[in-house]
Order: sequence, then structure tokens, then C-alpha cells
Amino acid sequence: METFIKFVALALILALALFIAVVAGDDGPWYFAWLVGTTMIVLIAAAGAVLLETQSPSGETGSEF
Amino acid sequence: MTNLTVVELSRLQFALTALYHFLFVPLTLGLSVILAAIETVYVITGKPIYKDMTQFWGKLFGINFALGVATGLTMEFEFGTNWSMYSHFVGDVFGTPLAIEGLMAFFLESTFVGLMIFGWDRLSRPAHLAVTYLVALGSNLSALWILIANGFMQYPVGARFDPDTMRMQFTSLYDLIFSEDAQAKFVHTSIAGFVSAAMFVMGISAYYLLNKRHRAFAARSFRIAALFGLISTLAVITLGDALGRSDYLLQQTKIAAIEGLWHTTKPPYEPWKLVALPDDATQSDVFSIGLPYVLTPLVTHSFTEPIPGIIELEQEARPKIVNGIQAVLALHDYARTRSPEALAAFRKNEDDMGYGLLAQRYAPGQDLAAITKADLPGVVDRTARATIPNVFVEFWSFRIMMALGFAFLAVFAFAAYFSLRNRLERQPWILWLAMLFIPLPVLASEFGWIVAENGRQPWTVFGWLPTFQSASTHSVGYLLFSLIGFALIYTCFIAAELYLMFKYARIGPATGASETPQPAAGPHSADTSGYAEKPWQ
Repeated sequence: METFIKFVALALILALALFIAVVAGDDGPWYFAWLVGTTMIVLIAAAGAVLLETQSPSGETGSEF
Repeated sequence: MTNLTVVELSRLQFALTALYHFLFVPLTLGLSVILAAIETVYVITGKPIYKDMTQFWGKLFGINFALGVATGLTMEFEFGTNWSMYSHFVGDVFGTPLAIEGLMAFFLESTFVGLMIFGWDRLSRPAHLAVTYLVALGSNLSALWILIANGFMQYPVGARFDPDTMRMQFTSLYDLIFSEDAQAKFVHTSIAGFVSAAMFVMGISAYYLLNKRHRAFAARSFRIAALFGLISTLAVITLGDALGRSDYLLQQTKIAAIEGLWHTTKPPYEPWKLVALPDDATQSDVFSIGLPYVLTPLVTHSFTEPIPGIIELEQEARPKIVNGIQAVLALHDYARTRSPEALAAFRKNEDDMGYGLLAQRYAPGQDLAAITKADLPGVVDRTARATIPNVFVEFWSFRIMMALGFAFLAVFAFAAYFSLRNRLERQPWILWLAMLFIPLPVLASEFGWIVAENGRQPWTVFGWLPTFQSASTHSVGYLLFSLIGFALIYTCFIAAELYLMFKYARIGPATGASETPQPAAGPHSADTSGYAEKPWQ
């Protein structure tokens, strides 16, 4: 049941995203670009930090930044 | 009769308060999103250092947010106190996005900012992350509604002038929200805020790295800010180009002033003026150095379309001014008699009404009815000249903003490169540069605001309401008193901001405040092999 509710919730989010994409894509292309672009900026910045964790041990000493 | 000194002082006061307010806005817009990015990493990895980072940058965000609100509130009241004619004319249209901004975006932002700062021990990690995202969304929605209102001033759509009520009436909220100018302006301004915040975080992190303090904290903050800033700068340049294209289509006087174009261009050769000394009085350049074949594709996105020049735009305005004078005279007649003939006469030329209102400034005694046949050519000449914004200010504000934008791109590119290779501490010059660049994106935003608003002159509502008809009828003494008062109070706010920012930046983060690694909530959860289980945590 829990899986089913999750599935429905995610399907609703997907439908909402598609609806926003269609409406914004037609009449608000720059708003749509902002939504997609900001998400990309956040994800790439976060990915950069996660990458740093794999590059060197953390800590004040013994590592080079 | 309108007192022109009062109008100029009202303009000065609004410009001053807006410029002060805009010292805080870009940082709020961008820092809220950077906080969301950092906290996302915390929730995914469970590493406490990202919680420290969110809390530290969140504290600086809180200081900036409080002072930004304090300086912004007075501006909404200024529309009523200093610009009552404007508020009467477009209050129905302009007030709506401002009301939505207050009730929706600002309430959302200010409610959740408290939860974000004080809710660490009261909310689960995903819930707190959701709160941080809501603060970021609220901040940017706030900017969205303000810029929708501003978009109406630049490109009035979704409203029509009603001669019975003597004001603009709504025809479509949808058109207002999805206005091309509002869209392009919002994305450009919002992302410019991202650049400001990225430089702020990167610069302070560089300070710690140079001083060998909080290195782990600073390296992570620097990495996130450098990547965030690099992509944001690329976006802000691209979106600035979109805004320029929109201006070319919708506000040709602005684009002509930005490019210092005295005459209509001859594509495709027309050079883009890299440096010039435009002289508004003689309508020519004292000197100019240009790059051939660049201007036409840059502005029109083609190699064949000409760009109208200032002299030609003035000529185009002349018949509109004559029609506008007829429209305003018919409107006065209609207000007095309510006769269908007067209404029909007004309807014939109503689209040019704004030009008639502008001509009133140059009419004898500011009375259009007093213009004689002999006066008319002189009034039309002066009004046509007045339809062009100050070219020198527009030309140089744009170039300073643009040069700074490309300088940011270079700084972020080097910063991201050295950070990704973990070679930052071997390159102290980039750390110094990052630190010295902290105030420059905010300065670029200020110049951007000047380009947008000076370029809209001589109108408050482009083509419909001249600035000189928009101000309240205060005395010069009253305006001088309030202007000096605002300048003093706002300077105190700036001093408080700088003092608090320097103080907390020097103190640095409370590293180790949350030393226990938390299980990761993201794909690398505690019960699978992920970041939270690495031995070096």
C-alpha cells in the first residue's frame, strides 16, 4: 500500500511537472528556463562538493585544497 | 503646474532608496539558493561539516535578509507618498503584483526563514531541507512579482486606459505575468543575484584559505560557490543577451541609447562601440572605437536587420506627439462634457496619449490648449528630443556592467578549475582575486538597474505616462528633508550590514559544533556503503 501511495504521489508530481513544462514552455519560456537552470546550477554545485569528498581526505591538516 | 524640481528630487529619492535596497537584494536571492545546495549535500552525505556550512552562511544570510527587508519596505510606501499621480494612474495594475508579492512570496519567505535559522533541533533533516528550499523559492518569487510590476512599467501589457476613470484598468493578469519583458528581466536579475552570492561565499572562503583557517570548511564552500558562480555567470550573460533582444523589439529608444546609436545602422558592417564618449547635447560622439560586424548580430540576432538610431526615433516620435496632443485635448473635453464626439476624438489618437502628456512639459504654462501654431514646431522638437534617455549614462552603465560580467566569468572559471584539481592553495592570486571581487557583482547589479530604469526615461509607464506627470505635489523643502533623512538612515543600515558581516566573517564558522556524522538520507544511506560510512569522516 505504501509503495502504491508513493507511486501515485510521484506520478502526480510528474504530471504537475509536465503541465508546468507545457504551459511555461508555450507562454513563459524564460520562466521555464529559470526553473530548469536553477535546478541544474544547484545540482552541479552539490555534485562538485560530493566530488571533493572523493578526491581527498577531509580535515584541517594533511590534505591539500 | 508641475514643479520640475519636486519631480527631480522625487526621482533622486527613489533612485537613492532603490540603489541602497539593491545592495542587499542580490545576496538574498542567491545566498538562499546556495544554502539549499549546501544543505542538499548535507542531507545526501550526512557529513556534519555541511551542516556547519549551512548554519554559518545562513547566519550571514539572516543579517542581509533583515536589512534588505528594512530598506525595501519604505519603497512600497514611496509609491503612495512621492508618486501619487503614478499610483492613481496605474494603481490597479501595479498594485496587484505588489500585493501578491507581499501576501504570497514575502510571507512565505519570512515565515520559513525563522524555521530555517532556529529550526535545526526541531525539524527532521528532510523537513529542514524543505524549509530551506521554501526560503529560496520565497526569495525568488518575491523578486518575480516585483519584476512583473517593473515589467509593466517597461512594457505595459494586460491593461488599457479608461477615459471615464482616468486610469489604467486591468484587461489580463495572464498577459501581465507572462509579459516578455517581465520574464527576461526576472531571469536576468535573479541569476545576477546568484552570481553576487557565489562571489560572496567564494571570497570569504578564500580569506580563510589564505589565512589557513577553517580549511576544510572553506575548501568545500569555495568549491560549491565556484561551480555555482561559473554556471550562473554563463547564464546571466546569455539571459542578458535575451533581455537586450527584448529591448530591441520593445524599447528601441533604450537600445539606441545603450549602443550610442545616433543614426540607424547599416547592417552587417555596423561596428559595436567598445569605447566612446557620447555627447547628448550635440547628439554625436566626441570619439569612438568600435568592432566592425559585431553590433547587428549582437542586438538583432541577424546580419540584415537595421537598428533604429536616435535621430530617426525622434523623427518617428513627431507625428505621435502631434496626435498625442490631440488625444489629451479631446480627453480634457470629454472629462468636461462627456460627449460622444469628444470620446470619439480621443479614441482616434488614444494610443499616442502618452506623447501628448509628455508634450505638456514643453507647452506654454504646461497647458496644451495654450499651444499656438507658431509654438507647435518648437514644442514638438523639444518633446521629441525628450523621448530619448540620457545616452552617456546608458552607454557607460551598460559597458561597465558587461565588462564586470565577463571578468566574473574569468574569475569563476579559474576558481572552479583550481578547486576541482585541489590546487587552490598553490594559487594564492586566485584567492586574492576572489576576495577582492566580493563587492563587484553587487556593483554590476546596480549598473544593470541603472541601465533598465534610466533607459525607460522619460516614462514611468513606457509610452503612456511621463515621469514628470507621475510625482506627488510636495514642497521642495519636504522632499529635501525626507531625502536627507533616507540617506542618513540607509547609510546607517549599510554600516550595520558591513559591521556585522565583517564581524561574523572574521569569527568564522563554529566548526565541530556538530561533530557526530549523521546517517545519510539520500541515495548513500547509512545502511549501504556511502559517504556516511567513510573512515575519514
